[in-house]
Amino acid sequence: MNITSTIIDSLDFIFFGFAIAAVTSYIILAIISAFETVNYMKKNSFVNYTEILSSSISPSISIIAPAYNESLNIVENVRSLLSNHYVNYDVIIINDGSKDDSLEKLIAAYDLVKVDYLINNQLPTKPLRQGVFKSTNPAFEKLIVVDKENGGKADALNFGLNISTNKYVACIDVDCLLLEDSLQKMIKPFLESTDEKVIAAGGVIRIANSCKIKDGKLLDINLPKSSIVKAQILEYLRAFLLGRMAWSKLNGLLVISGAFGLFDKKIALEVGGYDTKTVGEDMEIIVRMRRYMEEKKAKYRVAYIPDPLCWTEAPDSYKIFISQRNRWTRGTIETLKKHKKIGFNPEYKALGMVSYPYWFLFERVAPIMEILGLIYFLILIFNGFVVWIYAISFLVLAYLFNVLFSIITIITEELTYHQYSKKGMGWQLIKTAFTEPILNHPVVLYAAIKGNFDYYFNKKIKWGEMTRKGMSSN
Amino acid sequence: MLEFFQNSIDSLSSMHIIIKICIYLSLVLASTIFLSLIYLKNLRDRLKIKRRIEATYQKKYESDLIEYLYAGDDETENEQQQKIVIYLKKCAANRLKRKIIIGTFLKLKNDVSGETADAIQKLYYQTGLIESATSKLKSKKWDVVAKAIRELTQFEIKETHDEIIKLVNHPKKQVRFEIQKYLVQLFRFEGLEFLNIIENELSEWDQIQLLEILNKFKNLQLPDMSDWLRSKNDSVVSFTLKLVRIHNQFGVKDEIIALFNHSNPEIRVEAINLVNHLGIYEAVAILKTGVFERTLEEQIAFFKMMEEMSMPDDIEFIKEHMNHKNFYIRISVMKIMNLITVGDDNTFTINNIAEEYQINTNLTKAS
Amino acid sequence: MNLTKKIVLAEDNSILSKLLQFKLEKEGYQLLIANNGKEAVDLIEDNDPDMILTDIMMPFISGLEVISHVRNKLDRNTPIVVFSSAGQEEMVLNAFNLGATDFMSKPFSPNELIIRIKRLLQ
Repeated sequence: MNITSTIIDSLDFIFFGFAIAAVTSYIILAIISAFETVNYMKKNSFVNYTEILSSSISPSISIIAPAYNESLNIVENVRSLLSNHYVNYDVIIINDGSKDDSLEKLIAAYDLVKVDYLINNQLPTKPLRQGVFKSTNPAFEKLIVVDKENGGKADALNFGLNISTNKYVACIDVDCLLLEDSLQKMIKPFLESTDEKVIAAGGVIRIANSCKIKDGKLLDINLPKSSIVKAQILEYLRAFLLGRMAWSKLNGLLVISGAFGLFDKKIALEVGGYDTKTVGEDMEIIVRMRRYMEEKKAKYRVAYIPDPLCWTEAPDSYKIFISQRNRWTRGTIETLKKHKKIGFNPEYKALGMVSYPYWFLFERVAPIMEILGLIYFLILIFNGFVVWIYAISFLVLAYLFNVLFSIITIITEELTYHQYSKKGMGWQLIKTAFTEPILNHPVVLYAAIKGNFDYYFNKKIKWGEMTRKGMSSN
Repeated sequence: MLEFFQNSIDSLSSMHIIIKICIYLSLVLASTIFLSLIYLKNLRDRLKIKRRIEATYQKKYESDLIEYLYAGDDETENEQQQKIVIYLKKCAANRLKRKIIIGTFLKLKNDVSGETADAIQKLYYQTGLIESATSKLKSKKWDVVAKAIRELTQFEIKETHDEIIKLVNHPKKQVRFEIQKYLVQLFRFEGLEFLNIIENELSEWDQIQLLEILNKFKNLQLPDMSDWLRSKNDSVVSFTLKLVRIHNQFGVKDEIIALFNHSNPEIRVEAINLVNHLGIYEAVAILKTGVFERTLEEQIAFFKMMEEMSMPDDIEFIKEHMNHKNFYIRISVMKIMNLITVGDDNTFTINNIAEEYQINTNLTKAS
Repeated sequence: MNLTKKIVLAEDNSILSKLLQFKLEKEGYQLLIANNGKEAVDLIEDNDPDMILTDIMMPFISGLEVISHVRNKLDRNTPIVVFSSAGQEEMVLNAFNLGATDFMSKPFSPNELIIRIKRLLQ
């Protein structure tokens, strides 16, 4: 009996200790975010982007967008990418061995012809299939279409890094809607910094489901009916407004969303481009670039632009949602494992002592702790050890904390970008804040556990498929 | 059930401090949530009203402005203009409305010049908006000062020069930059005098915007740039190199040649890039000796420059580097040897005339 | 027969287009206003104007595509004046390659524009 209670006591201590650490870190991050947000809004309230936008001496940027079987929307998506207001940029579409008629559609829509194109094969990639295409119509001179053998997203991005002749590259998902002023806002931190090198900048991802999109323009922002998508909207808001803002202030960003990130091409090439062996290539390259800069003892930062510049479609079925999160989990595990040298290593300063441990504990280990906690709880129930009032009051506390955190996020959004301005939207978001911990969180937890399981026991798992419904249908 | 209560009461007595804390915390969280919700509702309502007001007034002020300008076409209708001035002046006392009025004026002013632009500036004076901007220059808040300078720049108010120049050493970067833009926008190249005294670095962002402002004006008397090229502030040198390029200042060629040995590698590369742009033939020989002791970037820039600057004598030297391990150098060499032709859009064709040289670099032929 | 000359104006700055509308209507022209390239193309197809004024940078369809549409798809010789902003020199060149008649660089003087229009429509 004595031994059992000692075990129970120490397990209690571990689980509650973990929970308290998580809550504390969230509160600290939220406070830092609040200060940084106020600061950012003040500094940017009077920045004039129109001057840099028209300047032909502004640095050149390549948008690199890999596409795999995107035939449904590819023509429309490319049009949206071509309508950016930045002057000095090109758009490189990498058709990564699509089995559908993506290429034929592009050729027909943009009057493409095959050309001989100089490519510096610095990074090893899968070879070209049909070749490189450019438009005969001067209105589309910014467009370069590459048709290559299938090699996965990282391989396609590496091809883009090889073919681009520009100083900066924006790596994006082809179905992302980039707002017209997105490139000049993203390039700003690179040009503004004088005492440290900006190696990459990440943007905010917003969810475009049910939004009205026409000719590559976001016309009308709506909230979708599907509760799973609404839960994701809130999740994204929380992650970007309260999480990444703080990490950017601490210069500890470990991940830039694969949907929209801008990189200094030279450094991306020096570290060897994207890793084709991981499913988390977007996180992995940032960690590797940071590690490279730390090892060179150079002053650097990974910037973050909180303006909602990139809108994308989120999965609206549980099956696809789970497979997406499963992939994210595996990506995180692979990246942290590959770079375990930096973890808790004082040589890597904040990267090793703060960012890595945070990701390790609260992204990598958290779902496992949660599931173990649940199992432990069930065992206690089974053995009649549960003190119910004790358990319930903790559960209520955790739930309320979650809800409060979401509501603070919604308030932050109202005070900054105020995108969900229509009548009734506020109420919808609040309702989601209350239901999300009960309805959505268990699914996220399940996906994370499945990701862990697949990583360790199911190595041959294939890429999760993302079926697109077409953003423009409204 | 009874057992459950018994358990609960037992535990409450034994662990009551933790339970108590939990219950208190839950109550605090619940009431915070409740208050946040009320605040959120209130906030959304306020924003909604503000937006409606903005849209209405924006439309109103747009048509007032058009009417004012239209009335200005006939000398006789000035009474109507006067009425609009009085109305706008009254509105400008309100902070939100003032902001909308200024926004409306600028929306048109940015796109027009000549008599219409002058008329808008006149209206800016008449409505007293200038006084509110000038008074803000004395504010202790840096963002208020920066915004005021910005506004005075946009409306091209030269008479505040003396007051603004006093702030040139403002501790905040954003304010200094607004002052630089004010000087350059209104006083063109004369405004660049601040380059002589600037101690902080001009970021690339600042440089591009200043150059962009200068680019808008044609046929200006150019200042002597040689002092700036000798500046100890690297960012001033790099800014001046951009000016030299845009305005084709061949006269500073000696200073540019001196920059080949500057301590900053980026400046050295920029200087090499200018050699072909300006056609400084005497610089080629200087660079050619010891080019491989330079950084790779400088070597690439050198070969790139040679695409336009190489003379028949140089071919022997160039030819040796046909198989250089750097892609860009190889391409430059092949271009100089006329083995390939590369278009502006990076498409290329292989020229078959020079049979004696084998192309053994791996060019990816797309078709 | 209607002798009033019709002009399609495509410009996303609402104040500028309103001002130009007032000024040109005073000169006796009929103005058809489009806020973006797409509306411009529709107006041109429906009304067969005598002149087209278009901004280069516009939402949905750029001024370049408007020119290309008029010259290639509709096969018309309607005079087209494009408005460009500073730094768009390359686009102005493209506009001329596509068949633009004249260009005005923003900021421009509305009165100067009127003089050019009169000359082109003579």
